[in-house]
Amino acid sequence: MVLTVVAVGAHAWFSGTTGTETRRPLLPVTPIAVAAWAMLIAATGFLVAAHRNRLAVLMLMGIIGLMVSVGFNHFSAPDLALTQISVEVVTIILLLLALNFLPNTTPNESGALRRTRDAIIAGAGGIAATALTWTILSTEFPIAPISDYHLANSYKGGGGDNVVNVILVDFRGFDTFGEIIVLGIAALVIYALTEALLSSTVRRRLLNRGYEETQAGDAHPLMMVVLTRVMMPVILMVGVYIFLRGHNSPGGGFVAGLVVAIAVVTQYMASGFAWAARRQRYPYHGIIGAGVFVAGLTGIGAWLAGQPFLTSAFGYFRIPPMEEFELATAMGFDLGVFLAVVGAVMLSLESFSRLGYRAGTETSDHAMDIDPSRDEELTPAAGEQGKVI
Amino acid sequence: MELLIASAVGVLSAAGIYMVLRLRTFPVIIGTSLLSYAVNVFLFASGRLAMNAPPVLRDGAVRYTDPLPQALVLTAIVISFGMTAVVVIMALGSWLSSDDDLVDRPAVSEGDARAPSMPEGDA
Repeated sequence: MVLTVVAVGAHAWFSGTTGTETRRPLLPVTPIAVAAWAMLIAATGFLVAAHRNRLAVLMLMGIIGLMVSVGFNHFSAPDLALTQISVEVVTIILLLLALNFLPNTTPNESGALRRTRDAIIAGAGGIAATALTWTILSTEFPIAPISDYHLANSYKGGGGDNVVNVILVDFRGFDTFGEIIVLGIAALVIYALTEALLSSTVRRRLLNRGYEETQAGDAHPLMMVVLTRVMMPVILMVGVYIFLRGHNSPGGGFVAGLVVAIAVVTQYMASGFAWAARRQRYPYHGIIGAGVFVAGLTGIGAWLAGQPFLTSAFGYFRIPPMEEFELATAMGFDLGVFLAVVGAVMLSLESFSRLGYRAGTETSDHAMDIDPSRDEELTPAAGEQGKVI
Repeated sequence: MELLIASAVGVLSAAGIYMVLRLRTFPVIIGTSLLSYAVNVFLFASGRLAMNAPPVLRDGAVRYTDPLPQALVLTAIVISFGMTAVVVIMALGSWLSSDDDLVDRPAVSEGDARAPSMPEGDA
């Protein structure tokens, strides 16, 4: 396989012709960009140097993700910045949940020879990636891109000002439809694998597992519970706002879905899996299904108007006391995307926390361990029993 | 500015490749995440860089950056979360059922009843 890659590369090197080779004027370097770049490079360097400490790796990953998000925002991609930062939150929570079961450190096994070999391969890969990116960035497009079509037709054809969102839900709606299905399948695979793990001998091992570190006495602290409870409607409101403005300003179904998922995840974090699971009214599988169904139904709606699947339409309406507003069928499609993302993210995270939950253990029905407003007397030992999140 | 982006992509890919070549599942997952950052930034940058030109139509704006790579990368970011989650649950399953998180065991020794660990399923 290596030989094939090298042969293909060599063929391209010797027989390929370069494009027009018009140099692009380079953007000036700003101090802020240098600072963000330095943080990104430093975080990546520390990550490789300290990769045996897995918790430190996750913190450094957070820095890298944040800097990538800041970079997207700096170079005129507000949608990407929003998505990157909210995906970063759920990814870190997911990896933390996984780290709950995996060992905290990576043993030092590979010898100096192997590490040198890996470093050489990685270095070569890095230099190649830098060279490729530099070549692309410093030259003009060899042929005119099709993006001008999207910019010109976004408002006329899709009825939206945010071209990125219009591309997602109108121009490339079929593509997005496939993507939410893939996301749903990934979440269902995670659910199925968790079920398989829990019904095998692994379950007994999980139940007998001891804790390597002492547990925090107050697993569901009052401050965290109250704070997340107050923040929940605020975050949901932000989610709805981001969803509604998506067609005309940065935002849309993907980001709104992630924001709402984060709001729900904080409830799990504050009050524990058992407490949140008892209050959950709709199963997450159903939400994924509803999302794909709504998106599909919006697409089929176009057939009734004699148009191909997923053709979108829009119009402007006015309810007397309010300003004129726009309604587009793309909104129904975006609602499907929103529901599928919420369901998929929550089902994945819920499956991971189910592994840690012991059905046999006695769990409190109260949201917090120590609640001043509760009458009953709490025994001092109650806080010391290891509570399971 | 272009050189900063190019070198950042290079450093992220180098770190990603190095981590993917480690022996345990967790660093490999981290490595694939770093590689996906690098690939996302690279794809995004292929629309060329522009400052203060978001692809949101406004009256009076004269230039917009390329919206197409942004739309492609947006879904790629979300999908990469799904893929990470699937690989993590596979790693977790292999660790919980065999107490072993080696990515590939060199050879099964004589009399070792345990099956060789599953090869990493990430493309």
